[in-house]
Amino acid sequence: MTHRLTHRRWFTPWLLAGPAVVWLAVFNLWPAVNTVILSFTNAKPLGGGHFTGLDNYERALSDEQLIDALVNSIVYLLVCLPLLTLLPLLLALLVEKKLPGITFFRTAFYTPVVASAVVVALIWGWVLDDRGLVNGVLGQLGLADQPVSFLTDRWLLLFSAIGLTVWKGLGYYMVIYLSALGNVARELHEAAAVDGASAVRRFWHVTLPGVRPAMMLISVLISVSALRVFSELYVLSNGTGGPGGRDMSVVMLIQMYSRGFTGHIGYASALSLLLFMITVGPMLLLARLNRKAA
Amino acid sequence: MPARGFGTPTPAGKAARYLLLALVLLLTIGPFLWQLSTSLKGPGEDVYSRTPDFLPAAPTFANYTQVADTIPVWTYAVNSLTVAGIAVVGNGVGATLAGFALSRLRFRGVRLVLGLFLATLVLPGEVTIVSQYVTVRSMGLTDTLLGVALPGAIAMLNVLLMYTAFQAVPPELDAAALVDGAGVWQRLVHVALPNVRGMLSVVVIFTFIGAWDDFLWPLIVLNDPQRYTLTVGLQYLNGTFAANPRLIAAGTMIAFLPIVAVFAALQRFFFKGVEEGALKG
Amino acid sequence: MRTSHWIRLAVAAVAAATLVGCGLGDPNGSGGTGAGDASAGGEVKGKVSLQTWALKPKFTAYMEGVIDAFEKKHPGVQVEWLDQPGEGYSEKVLSQAAGGTLPDVVNLPPDFALPLVKQNMLLDVAKADPKRASDYVEGGTAAYRFAGQDGTYGYPWYLNTDVNYWNATLLTRYGLDPKKPPATLDELIAAARTVKEKSDGSVYLMSRKPGLMDFANAGVKLMSDDGKTFTFNTPEAAALLDTYRGAFKDGLLPKDVLTEKYAGNAKLFTSGTVAWTTAGGNYITSLAADNPSLAPQVVSSPAMGTPPLYVQGLSVSGGTKNRATALALARWVTNAENQAAFARLTSIFPSTKASASDAFFSKSDGTNAGDAKVTAFSSLAGARMLEPVQANDAIKTVINQQIALALSGRTSSKEALDTAVTRCNQMLKD
Repeated sequence: MTHRLTHRRWFTPWLLAGPAVVWLAVFNLWPAVNTVILSFTNAKPLGGGHFTGLDNYERALSDEQLIDALVNSIVYLLVCLPLLTLLPLLLALLVEKKLPGITFFRTAFYTPVVASAVVVALIWGWVLDDRGLVNGVLGQLGLADQPVSFLTDRWLLLFSAIGLTVWKGLGYYMVIYLSALGNVARELHEAAAVDGASAVRRFWHVTLPGVRPAMMLISVLISVSALRVFSELYVLSNGTGGPGGRDMSVVMLIQMYSRGFTGHIGYASALSLLLFMITVGPMLLLARLNRKAA
Repeated sequence: MPARGFGTPTPAGKAARYLLLALVLLLTIGPFLWQLSTSLKGPGEDVYSRTPDFLPAAPTFANYTQVADTIPVWTYAVNSLTVAGIAVVGNGVGATLAGFALSRLRFRGVRLVLGLFLATLVLPGEVTIVSQYVTVRSMGLTDTLLGVALPGAIAMLNVLLMYTAFQAVPPELDAAALVDGAGVWQRLVHVALPNVRGMLSVVVIFTFIGAWDDFLWPLIVLNDPQRYTLTVGLQYLNGTFAANPRLIAAGTMIAFLPIVAVFAALQRFFFKGVEEGALKG
Repeated sequence: MRTSHWIRLAVAAVAAATLVGCGLGDPNGSGGTGAGDASAGGEVKGKVSLQTWALKPKFTAYMEGVIDAFEKKHPGVQVEWLDQPGEGYSEKVLSQAAGGTLPDVVNLPPDFALPLVKQNMLLDVAKADPKRASDYVEGGTAAYRFAGQDGTYGYPWYLNTDVNYWNATLLTRYGLDPKKPPATLDELIAAARTVKEKSDGSVYLMSRKPGLMDFANAGVKLMSDDGKTFTFNTPEAAALLDTYRGAFKDGLLPKDVLTEKYAGNAKLFTSGTVAWTTAGGNYITSLAADNPSLAPQVVSSPAMGTPPLYVQGLSVSGGTKNRATALALARWVTNAENQAAFARLTSIFPSTKASASDAFFSKSDGTNAGDAKVTAFSSLAGARMLEPVQANDAIKTVINQQIALALSGRTSSKEALDTAVTRCNQMLKD
């Protein structure tokens, strides 16, 4: 804790952090408190709103779709976390160096992040549907005599969505890594190079420790967004959630229940809180790992 | 120039690098090109057939001029810029100050505040949009661009990003400044800030894109079509009785270009932190 | 300075708590049932707001013309026209309703109107304007009367229905006569089999899952009379679903239908992948933009069974400060003359009785789009609202999921319908 240095007036930090704390309270904590209250009611967007005790939570525990959604989220987390922690770092290292045209590549790699959902759905549909690109190639190579149902099978649809998440996440997390790499002191690299350390060793002993705080933050972000996945599953299943609704995520369920005039805001709030509690777990774990490594 | 990252670039290494870059490019840029191609197709060309041509047979800018004729693109773009501008300034200043305070200053409650910031990342916002609207309304800000920008003007994610960046600044620098008798403000401006410019530009990019792309929130807050932001206004191209995918694609490209411009302009700052950093001092 | 800011925030928070946290019903204050008592009497002047849905920019000139004429007819009236984009309209109206900022006259389809009626947020126009009823076709007015609610809560505006569209080139290529397209489900399945066999599985005819409309057409009672429970898990519904299961198993529908929504078949038709779709009367016009080479090859035929009726209407906010003007405006926009002019701009149909005998709608201009318009118009007489207004998006999603599950063969039709009914009833509960 040597770097947290003293300052003269006690209120200075609060002055600096003040605006953010106000925003935190008004636009984040306040709605959150509201959500907690609502989760114990049967509120609708317009009216309703009697206190119903733990009814919503009981309903959640017996909701088969929620079980499926939780399984989906966990699979999502387990696959996305390693892939999206590592691949964007490698990508960042690839575009980090000043080469002719590198700006173009960096920008191009970022475009999936901002591509519109409609276009993404269209393109991936063409790639993955029964007569899409992938099935065409598989058929040509004689690897599959029946088209593979990437978009209609419970598990294949889930993994297709994971593919889409990774594809979109590459550019997003690459950007955070790039800025972190900027902070890895060049002198350390030079010193290591003078010592004759190999590229792999330098990656391991210089780059990795340098980007560790960013990596921790990124893995938290990945975990949170994996558990809260929405758009990829929504887009690939055309909003249907797959046959039987088995490919819905928790957020898709929340959306389904909360939106529209007759949405079950109370139940959706209870689901939100359950999701919150589930997400806090991996975050605490990561925070602990971080502290241990430090 | 000394090497960074993987090895010193030899001609072969360079070629391998470009090969890899090209491979990733192939994967990432598809939708963008697709949109571009659709936006350049004339009314005689099929856009939704099973095997649409990738290249427009007769490229035309007619769709772009038609978008500009149907909706006041410039007004909408200025509105979007205003919202994005407020959000960028708010986040740039608010998140930097808070990130610095949390990371560099010792004070009571820092862990609690940090925990709360982190928790908000996980707090689902899906059910809170109506309640958010009521808050903004009770401040008298409905139908104003300020009302659109306000809730996102300091995003908790950005505070955390800045916090992480300040954490990575070597403490020795700060210690040296403190010995020199520097105040909090000097430490922030002269020592810490030059070292986090990379992350600051990330924050600016994320904020800009977030504000620029947001659809549902501005739609709910704004009533007067003259105040619509670009994403909301572009929806007029997608009316009940008229949806021309070429126009929609052209509209999307118009909305897309400023984002690309902002990204391309700011990405070089990712490295400034070290290149001009105060490490030598 | 700081203190007052804090106080304002605290006040805001409390206001939000009363409105949302506790969800108190009637933010419009004086709106609601009491508002319906007075009649349309009162002077037509002052400011009113009118909100339409996705009419800009194509019908800007038309709407401005209608509004200008209204302002001219009633000097001293000022109409503020808002047109909301197609996306996100329900969220927009919802936040307007919750925030007490609902416009005076607002375009609401019946399923948007019902929840607002339950909160007493709309004016009973039957009470406020009793003379109105004779002007509109019964089906239109009926759409704004709801089970368990007294009164009528909107002026019907434009109507539409679905007709069948066939890709004539594909039908001819596989030996079917586009002049005599299938007219029943059995014929459709038989034709689908022919197309599949002759095209060696490269072309499909059918690409739509059955849904509530098909059940209604098979004589299934979808809902209890009080509108509180779904009842579509009958043997007839299961039998219909079984028929589709068989067709799916035989590969007569593309696998992708499992994750398609209702409009999915129009999407596939537009791309030339399937040879049949159902869509509204103006479909060929939009097809001409999306896939211009396909549009001329399309022929239409009447929907199988009872055609569905789609209704748009104008409701008056219970909280309006200018009731007389709002009612006059709603009536003006939906009058026979203005609706007839609207229908000449696109293939929608007026809800006024006066237009029923208008030769414009019963005579085709000879194009296939004109033929489809006539087919749709002649279907309207027998069209009915097939889906109950209680079936909101979430409920339709759940039904869609269970039907897909049954089609895929992973559960029986009966079981899927039972699950759907259980889940939907849960979602209907207050």
